[in-house]
Amino acid sequence: MTVKIGILSVAHMHAYSYASAVNALPDTELLGIADHDQARAESAAKTFATRAFGSYEELLAAGVDAVIVGSENVRHRPLTEMAAAAGKHILCEKPLATSVADGRAMLAACKTAGVQLMTAFPCRFSPAMVRLKSAVDNGDIGKVIAIRGTNRGRCPFDWFTKLDQSGGGAVIDHTVHVTDLMRWLLKAEVTEVYAEISSRMFQQEFDDTGFLTLEFDNGVFATLDSSWSRPKSFPTWGDVTLSVVGEKGVLTLDMFSQNLVLYSDKTGGVSWSPWGSNIDELMIAAFAKAVASGSPLPITGEDGLAAAAVSFAAYASAKAGKPVAPEVVL
Amino acid sequence: MFRVAIAGAGGMAHMHASCYTANPNACVVGVYDKRPDAAAEMAGANGATAYAGFAEMLEAARPDVVDVCVPTPWHVDYVVAAAEAGLKGVVVEKPMGRSVEDCERMAAACAASGTPLFVAHVLRFFPEFAEAKRQVDAGAVGTVVTVRTRRGGSFPRAWENWYGKPDWSGGVILDLVIHDLDWLRWTFGDVERVFAKGISPKLPPDSEVNSDYALITLKFKSGVIGHVEATWADPGGFKVGFEIAGDAGLLESNFNQPAGVPFVAALQRGAEAGAAVAVPESPTAVNPYYAELDHFLTCLASGATPSITPKDGCEAVRIALAAFESAQTGEPVVLP
Ligand SMILES: NC(=O)c1ccc[n+]([C@@H]2O[C@H](COP(=O)([O-])OP(=O)(O)OC[C@H]3O[C@@H](n4cnc5c(N)ncnc54)[C@H](O)[C@@H]3O)[C@@H](O)[C@H]2O)c1
Repeated sequence: MTVKIGILSVAHMHAYSYASAVNALPDTELLGIADHDQARAESAAKTFATRAFGSYEELLAAGVDAVIVGSENVRHRPLTEMAAAAGKHILCEKPLATSVADGRAMLAACKTAGVQLMTAFPCRFSPAMVRLKSAVDNGDIGKVIAIRGTNRGRCPFDWFTKLDQSGGGAVIDHTVHVTDLMRWLLKAEVTEVYAEISSRMFQQEFDDTGFLTLEFDNGVFATLDSSWSRPKSFPTWGDVTLSVVGEKGVLTLDMFSQNLVLYSDKTGGVSWSPWGSNIDELMIAAFAKAVASGSPLPITGEDGLAAAAVSFAAYASAKAGKPVAPEVVL
Repeated sequence: MFRVAIAGAGGMAHMHASCYTANPNACVVGVYDKRPDAAAEMAGANGATAYAGFAEMLEAARPDVVDVCVPTPWHVDYVVAAAEAGLKGVVVEKPMGRSVEDCERMAAACAASGTPLFVAHVLRFFPEFAEAKRQVDAGAVGTVVTVRTRRGGSFPRAWENWYGKPDWSGGVILDLVIHDLDWLRWTFGDVERVFAKGISPKLPPDSEVNSDYALITLKFKSGVIGHVEATWADPGGFKVGFEIAGDAGLLESNFNQPAGVPFVAALQRGAEAGAAVAVPESPTAVNPYYAELDHFLTCLASGATPSITPKDGCEAVRIALAAFESAQTGEPVVLP
C-alpha cells in the first residue's frame, strides 16, 4: 500500500528533507503541501513536484493517510489538532510543543480522534545510535553511570529566533533530540534539570547558549550542551555527540562524523561532505510503514512532550538559579 | 646552582627529579619518602642522597629549594615545614592542598618567612594551553561565550591506591581537573558559581573506588559558561581536549574531529588480557614539567614573581571543592 502524505507547513527546514524522503521512498507519495504562507507552499511544491493546496483544510480533505507538521513551533498545536480532527496520523516536528499545556492538548486531541502522533526524532534512526543502543542493551559497558551529550549548531535565525513563533532559542531547539536519545537509551525519565543559559553570542532577546545538567530516575546523571555555538565558518551545521560512561567502559557517538573533508580554493574554506546514512529517510520510512500496517508508531507524542518538558525546566532552572524538576507529562 | 630536595619519590617526583637533573642550574641533593627503598632508588638515579626523615634531609642536605611531591593531603605538612626552615623557594604539586584551609596555611607560612611558593600547575606550560590563552587574549574568537574541556582516561594506579580514596585525592574533581580549573580561571577569570555531578562526592567517608567520573558546569563572573568533563572511567586511553566558542569564532584542540568514526566502544578488559593500549604522544622540544620548574628557578635567581601564585593554587582548590560540594548537595555553589 502506498501511504499518501501531506505536509502541513514547510516553515522548518527539516520539512524539506522529509519531503525529499517521501519522494525517494518506494511506498510513500507526497500528495501535497499547504502552508499559511502560500508562496512558500507553492515554491516547495514546485521543488518536490507536488501540489500546493490553498489551505490546510483542503489538503486534509484531499485523501491523505497521514501528515507531517513542519511549521513554526507555536503552530504545532493548532495544526496537530486540525489533522487529528480530520482523522490523520501525524508526524510532528520537534519540539513537540512550546508548553506542557499545548503538548497535553495535542496528545488529548489525537487520543480523542483515535489517531497516532509521532515526534520527529530522526536521531533514533542513526545506524551509529542504533549500534550504541544495542551495545548498552547488551550490557557491554555494564550499568550506565553518566552521559555527556552535545547538540551544538549554528544559529538558524529566521523564525527560530522570534520567541513568539519558536517559544525559545537554542535551548528549546537543541535540548530535545539528545534528551530523547538519553531517555530512549536509559528507559528512564528526567527528574531534575539544572541549566546555565545565556544570550551572549548574539546579544539579543533569544537564548543562544545552554549547558544543562540532567538527573534521571535511575540515578544516571548527564550534561547536554544545546548551544548555537558553531560559527558561520564551522565546516558543518553542528553535531550530535554522546559519551556514555558505564561501569565497564565508555561508548562514544559522533553521529555526523561520517564526512569527507573538502579544502577548497574555490570557497577558500574547509567543509565536510557527509556520506552517512540519511536518517530523515529512515525515520519517514518507519513512520510510513507503521501507518500502512496500523501498528504503533515507533516514537510517540509523549516522547516528544517529555523531551520538550526538559527544555521548559531548563528555562525555569536558569531563571531560578537552582535545579528544577520537569513537569511529569505521562 | 640550586640545590633541590624532594619530598616523595613516586610518579610525579621522578618527573620533577629528572627535570632538575637535566637543568644546568639545578641538582637534586636529597630525597625523602616514607618508603626508604623508593627514596633510595630515586636518589640513586639522580646522584642524590636518600634520607630517612624530612627534617634530617633539610638539616643535612642544605637545600635551597624543597619540592613537595607527596600525595595531596600531606602537602601542607612539608610546605609549612620547608617555609619555617627559611629556604629560597618551595614547589608544591597540584592540587595545592586537600582543603582551602590547608592552602591558606601554606600561603601564610610562606608569606611569613618570605619564601616564594610555586604551585606546579603545569598545564599553563603546555604549549597548546598557553597558545589558546594567547589567542583568546588576542581576541581570536571575539567575545568568549562558552568553553568546554575534557580530560582523563583510565584509573591511575599509585601508592596505597591513594587516588582511589576520595578523602585523600578528592577524586577526579580535585585531583584531575584542577589542571583545567586553574587554566580556565587563568584564561577566563574568576568563577561565580559551580554546579556538578560526580561519583566520588556521593560516596560515604573512607570509601575506595577504582574509577571516577564528573561533569562540572561553571558560570564565570565575565558571563562565560564553562563545562569540564573529568574521567577515570575511560579504558580508551588518556584524552585531553578543549573548545572555546566566541561571537567571532571557535578555537579547539582535539575536540571536534573533522572526519571521524561515529561509534567507538572502549571496553575494560581483565588484567590478564594485557595492556595493548596505544599511547598517543605529542613530542615538543621542551618538556612542560621542565619548563615550569625552570621558570620558578629563573624567578628565584632574578627575584621576579613566578607566574603562578599561592593565591592561584588556593583559588583552583576552592573552585574544585565547590564543585565537589555541589555534587554532594545537588545545589549550585556560589563562590565568594
Ligand atoms: N602535574 C601532574 O600532571 C601530576 C601528575 C600526577 C600527580 N601529580 C601530583 O603529584 C603528587 C604526587 O602524586 P604521584 O602520582 O607522584 O603519587 P605516587 O603514589 O606515585 O607517589 C607518592 C609517593 O609519596 C610517598 N608518600 C606518601 N605519603 C607520604 C608522606 N606523608 N611522607 C613522605 N612520603 C609519602 C609514597 O611512598 C609514594 O612514593 C600529588 O599531589 C598528585 O596530585 C601531579
